[in-house]
Amino acid sequence: MMGLLAAFAALWVSAKNLFRPMTTTPLPWKGRRDLPERYRTSFALVHDEHGDEACIGCKMCEKICPSQIITVVPGGRANSEKTGKPRGWCKDFTLDLNACIHCELCIQVCPADAIVMLREQDTPGFSREDLFLSMEKLYANEKKAPSWGTGARLIGMQEPPKPPKPEAPQAEAPKAPAEGATS
Amino acid sequence: MILGNPWVHGGVVGFVVVNFLMVTFAWSVWFERKFAGRMQNRPGPTEVGPFGLLQPIADLLKLLQKQDIVPDGADRALFNLAPPIGAILILASAAALPFGPGLVAADLDVGVLFALSITSLMVIPVWMAGWASNNKYALLGAMRAAAQAVSFEVPLLLSAMVPIVLAGSFSIADIVAAQSGYAWFALWPPGPGLVAFVLFFLTSLAEANRIPFDIPEAESELVAGVTTEYTGMKFGLFYLAEYVHTLVASLLATVLFLGGWEGPFVDGPHWMIAKALGLYAFIFWVRWTLLRYRADQFMALCWKVLVPTSLATLVAAALWKHLS
Amino acid sequence: MAVGHGHLPEPVAALIRARAAVPNPHLDVESYDPEGDLLVLNLGPQHPSTHGVLRVKLYLDGEVCIKAVPYLGYLHRGVEKLCEKLTYVQITPIVDKNDYVAAFSNELAINMGFETLLGVEPPPRAQHIRALGAEMQRVASHLLWIGTFGLDMGGALGGGATLFMHTFRERESILDCFEVLTGSRFHYNTLQVGGCRHDIPAGWETLVRQTFATISARIEEYESFVRTNAIFLARTRGVGVVDAELALSLGVSGPVLRASGVDYDLRRDRPYGLYRELKVNVATASAGDCQARFEVRLAEMRESIRLVNLLLDGVPEGPINVLKAVKLPGTVKPKPGIGYAAIESPRGELGTWVVADGSDKPYRCKIRGPSLHALSLLPYLAPGQNLSDIIVTLGSLDPIMGEVDR
Repeated sequence: MMGLLAAFAALWVSAKNLFRPMTTTPLPWKGRRDLPERYRTSFALVHDEHGDEACIGCKMCEKICPSQIITVVPGGRANSEKTGKPRGWCKDFTLDLNACIHCELCIQVCPADAIVMLREQDTPGFSREDLFLSMEKLYANEKKAPSWGTGARLIGMQEPPKPPKPEAPQAEAPKAPAEGATS
Repeated sequence: MILGNPWVHGGVVGFVVVNFLMVTFAWSVWFERKFAGRMQNRPGPTEVGPFGLLQPIADLLKLLQKQDIVPDGADRALFNLAPPIGAILILASAAALPFGPGLVAADLDVGVLFALSITSLMVIPVWMAGWASNNKYALLGAMRAAAQAVSFEVPLLLSAMVPIVLAGSFSIADIVAAQSGYAWFALWPPGPGLVAFVLFFLTSLAEANRIPFDIPEAESELVAGVTTEYTGMKFGLFYLAEYVHTLVASLLATVLFLGGWEGPFVDGPHWMIAKALGLYAFIFWVRWTLLRYRADQFMALCWKVLVPTSLATLVAAALWKHLS
Repeated sequence: MAVGHGHLPEPVAALIRARAAVPNPHLDVESYDPEGDLLVLNLGPQHPSTHGVLRVKLYLDGEVCIKAVPYLGYLHRGVEKLCEKLTYVQITPIVDKNDYVAAFSNELAINMGFETLLGVEPPPRAQHIRALGAEMQRVASHLLWIGTFGLDMGGALGGGATLFMHTFRERESILDCFEVLTGSRFHYNTLQVGGCRHDIPAGWETLVRQTFATISARIEEYESFVRTNAIFLARTRGVGVVDAELALSLGVSGPVLRASGVDYDLRRDRPYGLYRELKVNVATASAGDCQARFEVRLAEMRESIRLVNLLLDGVPEGPINVLKAVKLPGTVKPKPGIGYAAIESPRGELGTWVVADGSDKPYRCKIRGPSLHALSLLPYLAPGQNLSDIIVTLGSLDPIMGEVDR
């Protein structure tokens, strides 16, 4: 008998839930949930403020990537047509999203803020090639909504601005492209 | 009494009843999915048709398209026969169910016994399927089904005896007639009728393999019980048998305890169907709320609680009948 | 804080246990059953209730288990070997996938192991974020456990599924909080050697407070769903009783051990990080059965919610990383040595034992996961149990196969 009463308590709970608002959001093509600022899915390569491709081919992301899915072919040093200043260039950049674990480390180490993650829900691909991001696809992704995180912001969050001493991270950055260019 | 000829009458009513059961089955699946979805704060089926109303048709098409697999080492004949036998048996049990005065495919003198005995035979296709599947999970499920059938059939029949004793007849039409004037057996006489109704309801849940007594196909331990190896429409037939079984149990409970087609304004089949669907929905509610008993606990419950209670109820009903 | 009941009612399990001739995990089946009459049932690796890809070979007499042999390794990914190939800063996102329902705990354990090698201590703000995340993760993990435990007892098409959906609803809201903090729902990669990678964004504290207020209100519902439910009690009380001595000898820790009456919680007994200042009430129960484990986890959830609210009150300002932010793979280079750090993960003692050889990669990294030890109880508990009870017992041990197989 007590069991029956307890069963009614459970029935009451489930009946109460009939009138709660739904917690699932409709399928992706019917609407999207609000994505937080730091949401991270796919990747994009961006242009810098002068309109040049921001990637300097330093291979930092390639080295830090735990799944080793990034391949950077550095393009050597050359003068930028926009600014006239010498800088490193990237000849080819591929990222295999099939094996990506979305750890955001490549974003964090990028000294040029060239690679960002997207604040968009992933559109699934129909083949493995769809998830293999070539340089063109990465630059095409630039038009999509980027995530909050860039190299400078992530580093800035972890290292609050300090007086002169910790110049080391900034000092490293220019060195890297040179290294990339010679290799 | 549509055309006087019992064959024509039975054929027409039976056709309508079978179609009613099938259509109700199809859309009760939709209702259950919506209902469970709302209970779990999700929308349920939404894609096929308005409010997902065409979902049963999509389900059917999907089941029809599935590859029909007969496992290696299976007893082919038994394996293929089990699902249709189950579906036929359970549809046949509705033959003696009246939906209104005279609206019955076969007006049997022992209608209650007929319906209950046919639904009790459901253990045979279940056992056939479990044995023929050549699958250990299916075999365990079938053994559980056979073992528990023995224990719940006794209180089921004993509690069904209560309205029979009170009405003094095995004919369903007489039982409904005895309840006229809102003297429903679930309400009047006050004690035994209600207890018998609860017992009948619980044991019907067990017979229809519904939670909390869906022990033969306990999917958390037995994957899918007897239906583990079934695909496509064969699985669909088992599915149909299970749902129609629940529906028939609700209809039986309605005629035995809830006054059948009696209701406010106009008596008729609509009240019968409304009451049965109410019970049916309650079964869904129970199903999506409660957990599952263990096989031995359920059998202990049957033998130690339900059988004595139903016996006592029967004695009380007999005493009432004798004294009044 | 003792919860649950001190005395056991006459357990049904004991009656069944009496039927099994020898409740012995090392039973020689060949000599016990020379005729081969026992039903050998391979439970898993594809089975709805083995919590992933566990395979248990069951020798059944009817439905009563005579011997159970778990076979592991279906989810082996070589994480420990990977740790030897990756630099210290790259390991965090990899170990996220160990205990995949409590990724934060993994990150915390591995990074604390590395920090013992380096001899650094994260700054207070980072400690707060870590403790907050760990407690939030504990609630999320226990919520998932309650849901799957319901599935084990109520089936995927029944009340269990409803409970599962309800707990998932709340768990999702916790994951939403993590998503706002780190940008990711499951595998955050939010901790690094020396601190955290993500600082608390504006408005996050309000969000967490709201989320946990809802959850603490809804815990009552789960209780009424299962705790007072006669079916739940019948299925869990006296089922899968873990003896405290056996549990200790097998190295079991966490809620499973505490439900057997051993009052041991690393957060209190070997405090680390912020727990040195924080008073943690440890929930224990004495019965050692599935119900006691449920009660302990429920009490732990309540305690974690209290801790989350407490921690949110006092997040100090300041840096979140004691080292420089990672800009190169090889920036963290501990001196040669051995370090061990253990945390109380939702499943128990999650330890990291690291050997450094002075390079930027660990020489050896051993992860001590609690799930493996909890799972090793199964061969002791299963003999004499009904098949249904084995599923419930297995569920109550809460093994996460990602952590068992690593």
